[in-house]
Amino acid sequence: MISLAGRDILHAWPKFLLTGMGLGLLIGVTLSMAGVYRGMVDDAEALLTNSGADLWVVQKDTQGPYAESSSLRDDAVHGIEGMPGVALAANVTYLNMQVQRGSDEARAMVVGIEPGKPGSPAQLVAGRPLTRSHYEAVADVKTGFSMGDRIHIRRHDYEVVGLTQRMVSSGGDPMVFIPLKDAQEAQFLKDNDAIVNERARTSANPAFNRPGVPGLLDAAIASQTSSHSVNAVLVQVLRGYSPEQVAEPIRRWKHLEAYDRAGMEDILVAKLIATSAKQIGMFLVILAIVSAAIVAFIIYTMTMGKIREIAVLKLIGTSNATIASMILQQAMGLGLIGFFVGKLAATLWAPVFPKYVLLLQSDALRGLAVVMLICALASTLAIRIAIKVDPAEAIGG
Amino acid sequence: MKLTSPIKRRLLLAGLAVLLIGLFFFVMLRSGPLAPIKVTVAQVKQGSIAPELFGIGTVEARRNWMIGPTVAGRVLNVKVDVGDTVKAGQLLAEMDPVDIDQRLASLDAAIERARSTQTAAAAQQADAVARRALAVSTMRRNQDLADQHFISSGALESFTQTKASADAALDAARANATGAAQDLNRSKADRAALLQQRANVRLIAPSDGVVSARDAEPGSTVVAGQSVLRLIDPSSLWVKLRVDQGRSGGLAQGLKARIVLRSQPQTSIPGTVDRVELLGDSVTEERIAQVAFEKAPVGMSVGEMAEATIQLPSIPQSLIVPAASIQRQGGSTGVWRMEAGKPVFASVKPGVTSLDGQTQIIDGLKAGDEIVVYSQRPLSAGARLQVVDTVVAPAGAAGAAQ
Amino acid sequence: MPTNTGANITQAGIVVHGLRKVYGQGDTAVEALKSVDMVVGPGEVVGLVGPSGSGKSTLLKCLGAIIEPTSGRMVLGGNTLYDNGWVTKDLRSLRRDNIGFVFQAPYLIPFLDVTDNVALLPMLAGMPNAQARARALELLTELDVAHRAKAEPSQLSGGEQQRVSIARALANRPPVILADEPTAPLDSERALAVMRILNRMAIQYQAAVIVVTHDEKIIPTFKRIYHIREGRTIEEAGQGRSLG
Repeated sequence: MISLAGRDILHAWPKFLLTGMGLGLLIGVTLSMAGVYRGMVDDAEALLTNSGADLWVVQKDTQGPYAESSSLRDDAVHGIEGMPGVALAANVTYLNMQVQRGSDEARAMVVGIEPGKPGSPAQLVAGRPLTRSHYEAVADVKTGFSMGDRIHIRRHDYEVVGLTQRMVSSGGDPMVFIPLKDAQEAQFLKDNDAIVNERARTSANPAFNRPGVPGLLDAAIASQTSSHSVNAVLVQVLRGYSPEQVAEPIRRWKHLEAYDRAGMEDILVAKLIATSAKQIGMFLVILAIVSAAIVAFIIYTMTMGKIREIAVLKLIGTSNATIASMILQQAMGLGLIGFFVGKLAATLWAPVFPKYVLLLQSDALRGLAVVMLICALASTLAIRIAIKVDPAEAIGG
Repeated sequence: MKLTSPIKRRLLLAGLAVLLIGLFFFVMLRSGPLAPIKVTVAQVKQGSIAPELFGIGTVEARRNWMIGPTVAGRVLNVKVDVGDTVKAGQLLAEMDPVDIDQRLASLDAAIERARSTQTAAAAQQADAVARRALAVSTMRRNQDLADQHFISSGALESFTQTKASADAALDAARANATGAAQDLNRSKADRAALLQQRANVRLIAPSDGVVSARDAEPGSTVVAGQSVLRLIDPSSLWVKLRVDQGRSGGLAQGLKARIVLRSQPQTSIPGTVDRVELLGDSVTEERIAQVAFEKAPVGMSVGEMAEATIQLPSIPQSLIVPAASIQRQGGSTGVWRMEAGKPVFASVKPGVTSLDGQTQIIDGLKAGDEIVVYSQRPLSAGARLQVVDTVVAPAGAAGAAQ
Repeated sequence: MPTNTGANITQAGIVVHGLRKVYGQGDTAVEALKSVDMVVGPGEVVGLVGPSGSGKSTLLKCLGAIIEPTSGRMVLGGNTLYDNGWVTKDLRSLRRDNIGFVFQAPYLIPFLDVTDNVALLPMLAGMPNAQARARALELLTELDVAHRAKAEPSQLSGGEQQRVSIARALANRPPVILADEPTAPLDSERALAVMRILNRMAIQYQAAVIVVTHDEKIIPTFKRIYHIREGRTIEEAGQGRSLG
């Protein structure tokens, strides 16, 4: 027995291929949406992995430093370093801001780090790590910066001395690493106009501007422009200790909050991404319905165009099962072409998306199964019509 | 032709299908999670490493003075302005003496009066001397008479008493005279003291220098200790440098440095570390060093930001690796060494790192070992790798397909 | 008029007795066929002639096992197909194995090539592909269209398509061939050619052929004609003009 479906497809292959490609683009969009969700989760995982930390110590009763703002004194790290089970502890600051290079601007998360300690980028793709204590930066390639560029952050210019890949914030913004002191200044020190304004206000305050106490006003102004806060302390735990063992005393005696990897994942993935996940889930459902409708319509149209042939086939003795099988095979063939085109398209255009799109093979297989199922269901409409065709129509009248 | 055309078409379609499927699988394997990780490698080699220290600081004047009054007062005039060069001893400003001159005048008058009093006392004293002399001679004469029983002893007593009174009057007059002299001294001393104060309201330059600030204008009230003018010695400008404590090993006096001023970022000025401060900054965790200019550049301002790079003696022969290859995992430091094409984590003991990104390896590797420098993703032992020349394209392109 | 009844019932060919078809029910009932008797022997080609509305199409549909008669008996190829009720439920296999259809238009399957169009029915019946194609090629050669074996139906001329459709009808060696106005669109030369083929194939493959037609060009060529009028058939001897 020959494959009627196969012959029909071969005969009208341009139409079939084009239809398959159109369907494929729709499937590609669906796969990309799933990839966007996976990418968001992966962004969060990458953020946590790249920080090189086992514990995140933040301000008490906050869920920072990524989901909420958190502020600690920068000398808290010394107390933590001395606790048992702590291999390394480092201050770190995070600030989302625009970074300028010439006339371009890029949105980035500026991270203040202490080189060689948790929080600093572990692997580079070009250049070198930070060696100077000020005015150097390591940027992620997603910012578009290259080695040697001079970028402007807040009040100073920085030279890009190293590049990283896939170092992003949980929101997908690329990271720019600068020395901690510069980052503290960037985060907590304001622009010149604001500083001048503050000075004027302090001078006008009689509590600080007492005539009999020279030097009081200067001291008050100096204390305003110094910054001694950080957003979090990242801790690496010694081998042989569990993160919880180290976290518990920090919570109790240091009056700070400490989260381990699982806790941070919960905050980022379950809470921060939850709304986006729901949105994407809705999109996927809608796209699946639309795909089903389109496949149903296409197969229906193709079948309607073959009513006469179906009548003749039935007349000369082709069984309903053979005809139904032909339609079903065509629908599945369309689905298969669509899936291939869709997966190819999604893989090719994924890097162009502004956010990270992660296409998992398991998602692709699931998508294939769903596509086949949808095609099978969508073909039932056409199959119903084909079965109802009266062979007598072949004999005109 | 009619026979081969469907066959040809079928072959063409089959070929197209094979191509598409092949492309599909190619894309699957070369990108996404199945793809091998792109890395670059380098050889560990012997070389010399030139470590340097880096710090930022501000230009300050080594010698500077705050010129101001020692008592609260009002500024009368300021004779110099910012930028003026002054000589030692030059009058720079004057405070309002207020009532000092009047008090001086009052004291002058008091002195005159004291002198008059002294003259009067002297006259009184002379008068007392004369009376006493008379009283003595009268008593002597009457004594003689009394001795000759020409007058009664009662009569003698009155002359004796007159003499005694004249004695006392003389003592009193002498004391008065002494008192008047002391009064005069006191007034003179008061006057000398006020003159000192008068001198104090003149603000004199303690040394040669340049006026760097004019903090009070004539008519303003200043308290003791507030500055009216600030003076600096322009030849004593140096950079007060702050170096991170953790990266300041080897900081010592006498090391050569290159200074870059914020206002002249293209120029590198040679200098020397003049002094390493005993007291560092424990809050910011920095050590402080003073770096002097070999030849002070023109057009500098005090308070200007500067960066300095201090050269440490170079380490001649040691194993060096790019700093980017150092990884810290689970509390230990090491690099990923390539063994038969697979990465293996090797613990190392690193030494100094130069500012341009070379790290000395003291222990853990040998010359000729191949290590991973740059990688697309975090490595794990035995991961599939693909060695390339560069992981990212040089001219700013945003990396290969993820 | 010679009639064949009873004596030829067990032979191959077509035997129809007392066929009746009523459409609808009650007041609106229409008796399309009142009582139809027909006998066609193997190798015979008979005409079925009648005006429109006479029940011609209804009779053809009953013979073709497309619609169910109301009562009567039909025997095709020695097998009783209908005896006041279908003998079997699987009408499609019935048609596939027993009846070859030739239509007014060729109605070839456009996405199969000529050989496969003809080989389709044997393949559906279970014959291996190579064998089915061999038989198809045989028939195509007989019908002088073998040189078009690999072509698509759209590339053939009208006459070639018609011949292919006849080959298709014969592919399963059915005992009965029902032809519905096969010559209507053709000119007289072509029409006679088609009749020649039908006659030759009928004899060669011993098939009973009924040709429904009103084409004056070919009616004289039948040896026997059944007239149908108001639901009844009347047999009549034809002129039997030679086809040459």
